[in-house]
Amino acid sequence: MLKIFGYECRRLLWNKFFLGFSVILLFYGWQVLGNETILGVSHTAPFSPWSFGGYLSRMLPLLWIGALFFLTFFTSPAARRAAVLTDAAPMAPRRYALARCAAALTGTGLLMLICLIEAAVFYGRYFGWYGWGDLVLPALLTLVPSLVFALGSGWLFGRIRPWLIYVWMLFPFACAAFPLPKAMGLWNGSFFTGYPLTLGTLDPSFTVPVSVLLIQCLLLAGGAALLVLRLRKR
Amino acid sequence: MKTVRLFQMELRRLLQSRLAWIVILLTALSPLAGLSLYKPASASTMLSLYLANPALAGGVVGGILFGVLAVFELDRTNRSRVDVLTDAAVSPLCMALIRLMALTASALLTLCVTALVWLPVSIHLIGSVFDGGDYVPAYLLFMGMGLLLGILAASSAYQFTRRADLSLVLFAAFAGLSLTVWADNWQLCWLNPCVWALSDDFSNLRIFRSVAYMRLTWLAALAGIWTLSYLCIRQYGKGILGSLACSARRVYRPAVAVLLLACSGTAYAAQPMVDHSNPDETVMSFYEIPYLEDVVCSGRTVQVHPDTSAGTVSGRAVYRFRNTSGQEQTVSLAVNPGYTVSSVRANGEDVPFSVGEYQEYNEAVLETAIPAEEMVELAVEYGGFPRENGNISVMQGGAEISAEYLCLENAELAPRLMNVLPDEAMYPTEVEITLPSHMIAIPFRDSDAEIISEQDGEATWRYTYNGTSGILYAGDYIRQDIEAGGITIQFYYGRKHQAVMEAAGAADAVRTVVDYCTEHYGPLSFSSGGTLKLIQSRVSGGGYATSGASLLDEADFTAANLGDPGKGAVPGEVMIHELVHQWWGLGNMFDTAGRSDPWSAEGLTVYTTYRIVKDLYGEEYAQENYVEKWRQAVEDYYLNFYVRNPEYLERLPEEKQLEITNNLTYVRQYCEMPLKILKAEELVGGAEAMDQILHSLFNRELDPAYPYLSYQDFLDACGLTEEELDLA
Repeated sequence: MLKIFGYECRRLLWNKFFLGFSVILLFYGWQVLGNETILGVSHTAPFSPWSFGGYLSRMLPLLWIGALFFLTFFTSPAARRAAVLTDAAPMAPRRYALARCAAALTGTGLLMLICLIEAAVFYGRYFGWYGWGDLVLPALLTLVPSLVFALGSGWLFGRIRPWLIYVWMLFPFACAAFPLPKAMGLWNGSFFTGYPLTLGTLDPSFTVPVSVLLIQCLLLAGGAALLVLRLRKR
Repeated sequence: MKTVRLFQMELRRLLQSRLAWIVILLTALSPLAGLSLYKPASASTMLSLYLANPALAGGVVGGILFGVLAVFELDRTNRSRVDVLTDAAVSPLCMALIRLMALTASALLTLCVTALVWLPVSIHLIGSVFDGGDYVPAYLLFMGMGLLLGILAASSAYQFTRRADLSLVLFAAFAGLSLTVWADNWQLCWLNPCVWALSDDFSNLRIFRSVAYMRLTWLAALAGIWTLSYLCIRQYGKGILGSLACSARRVYRPAVAVLLLACSGTAYAAQPMVDHSNPDETVMSFYEIPYLEDVVCSGRTVQVHPDTSAGTVSGRAVYRFRNTSGQEQTVSLAVNPGYTVSSVRANGEDVPFSVGEYQEYNEAVLETAIPAEEMVELAVEYGGFPRENGNISVMQGGAEISAEYLCLENAELAPRLMNVLPDEAMYPTEVEITLPSHMIAIPFRDSDAEIISEQDGEATWRYTYNGTSGILYAGDYIRQDIEAGGITIQFYYGRKHQAVMEAAGAADAVRTVVDYCTEHYGPLSFSSGGTLKLIQSRVSGGGYATSGASLLDEADFTAANLGDPGKGAVPGEVMIHELVHQWWGLGNMFDTAGRSDPWSAEGLTVYTTYRIVKDLYGEEYAQENYVEKWRQAVEDYYLNFYVRNPEYLERLPEEKQLEITNNLTYVRQYCEMPLKILKAEELVGGAEAMDQILHSLFNRELDPAYPYLSYQDFLDACGLTEEELDLA
């Protein structure tokens, strides 16, 4: 199974798409950091968890698209045609799907890592700031549930109709364009700009209200459940 | 012939595609978003609300949709795995060109449909100020060009990568950058041009030119990139480099790409629209140039010829100097950075001159030598396309020069003398300007212009005044005289605005403001012949005042404001502010040496505006729209991370430091100081007590050596100390 995982990883990550996408991600990220994050949000430092969260919210649509594009490797008509061969291989389909799922998660994780490393380099270069430990929680809370949900829901849509994945890519843009309930503020960054102001202290430490936490947990659970469902159905 | 036939077939095929029709339909509906979701033009003029915003939204949505359509269309043969067959039948290079043409034709069709569908809606929404001369360029530039750029960008991405997924991501990032990070950079926001306002009453040529320039720069860039990607179209089973080598054999192809990219790069770097003024607006080094000893200026004459169709100006300014030093001297004059000085002659002889690279507050320095003769007549010939201040490049449109409207401010009108003192007659100046005969020339000061000659549909106006610089407005204006506060106010506004002005009761609003200030602070004593001009400018987002004249922004009185019940029937807060400057800033002067000093004419002016608004619209409105906003801004200022931690500010790039400090200076002058004055009002016993104090300050005896009203004067008059007014 490890061999298949390695093979799928190579298929997803060792290609023009991943390379090109990484370059785009780095360029976009640097523009966001250098023009917006540098000013800080809600009176906090540019390297506060809040400003960092704002940066991640800005990167989320691109990461979302990247994660869904990984799925198109498995749901495209070409992949479906090849499935006739892979299904005939002496390997339980569920394990095969698990390897693919792990590869997609690995690819998405790598994209996240690129964003995080870029921010770390930016903070070190401009502010000589290296307290990365403070940023782990906002990173996990913002990116992991959203991207797991992207993979789970994307896989579901891909199974129904492959082109639905492309439509689903527009979801974060719609979130940015339309007003969202406060509990979903992580999706368009309004949580990071609005919530610290309600805490009544200067430079508040990173806390999350229960409603936001609940939504993120639901997304994570929903995404994971959809992935598991997909493994079972396979 | 074959290409034309293929184009027709491709277009017909495209128009049979369901996706293409969905894109066309959604694009035609997209201006709806500009009425509700996406409103980049923030001014309250009717054309901003109901023309600029829908057209801009159409450009953004349509640009993205047509980009996506382009990727899907280009990927069609690859996706259906018939590319080998089609490539064998038609050259892939030829097919790429045909697809581009078909997509462009469908975008053009969509633009026409959208413009036609929205025409009656726009006429209905915009009302009497609707003008087809604004409608067509707005849809063409704000929307149509967006569709074309979207197609070019997405097609290029596909032709380089030959992957739909990567092309879509590239395109999404490119569009995302324009909509977010680059949104405030007028040259980079290729998808959503920086249009903050369109004028209802006057022309909009300058902002249309600016958008057209940005769009054409990007068109050249993306056409160049597209041509490069065209060379990379895979042929003969080769990869990107092999195909590039094959396609580049015909030298004209890469040459066209390089030429287009070079044109775009040059157009970007040498843009003529805005200058390179020092972004640090606390620096006023031009005022520190030492005055020449033994040289005085005894007068100047200026002849100006605006070209209203090209938006340019040419002129000749003659300065008369008395040089008693017996030596050659170097005279400094401020010119608009967009102008070229073609000749400088002293007493009829050509003299050397140079224009410095450094620019500040929309001016560059022209230095020239005057000979060691006692009487020198210096003639400067200048002209060109005036540039606007680069520090407010997101709010372009102010330097409008057209047959409908013209505004020439200071160095745009004529070079401003910087380092020569006047003789005993001050700086007598005579200005002659030749304009289309339907335009009225209105000097922005206490003198009047009169026609001295008329010929071939043009009239030459002349006026005289005293000063080193000056501002001139011209256009199709109506004048209404209003008696208030013991003076006559000559109220000039655009003819197209007459109905709105009458419905808004603008004359009554002006009378109320002048009567209020006269009653509370005292009558104006400086106005020439007891008159004051109030001139309506094209929408500019603010105003200014000078001795004998104040500005009224077009956006003060719009049909949209009339329907705002919160503002009653008389909005016009810029007008109030600029009229109040006749008392605070002109009637009583403030030392402008410290540009970043929180104490300036703005503090008392903003406070007085608040008091008038409180009288006019009630306490609740004034509290919500003034006091609460000041409080919020001041609170944000004190809490700002960089104010609390200046050591981090120093680590930032200079450009970012200036962006932050400029914003903070604004808050200190326009929000912190009025709030301190409000606190002083409470401490001295209320509004009436403050009025008495301000009355006494306004009418105090001036010290000729230092005629300015200082913060200490204010504190002394209130019997307070600086610490007592601390807000922190």
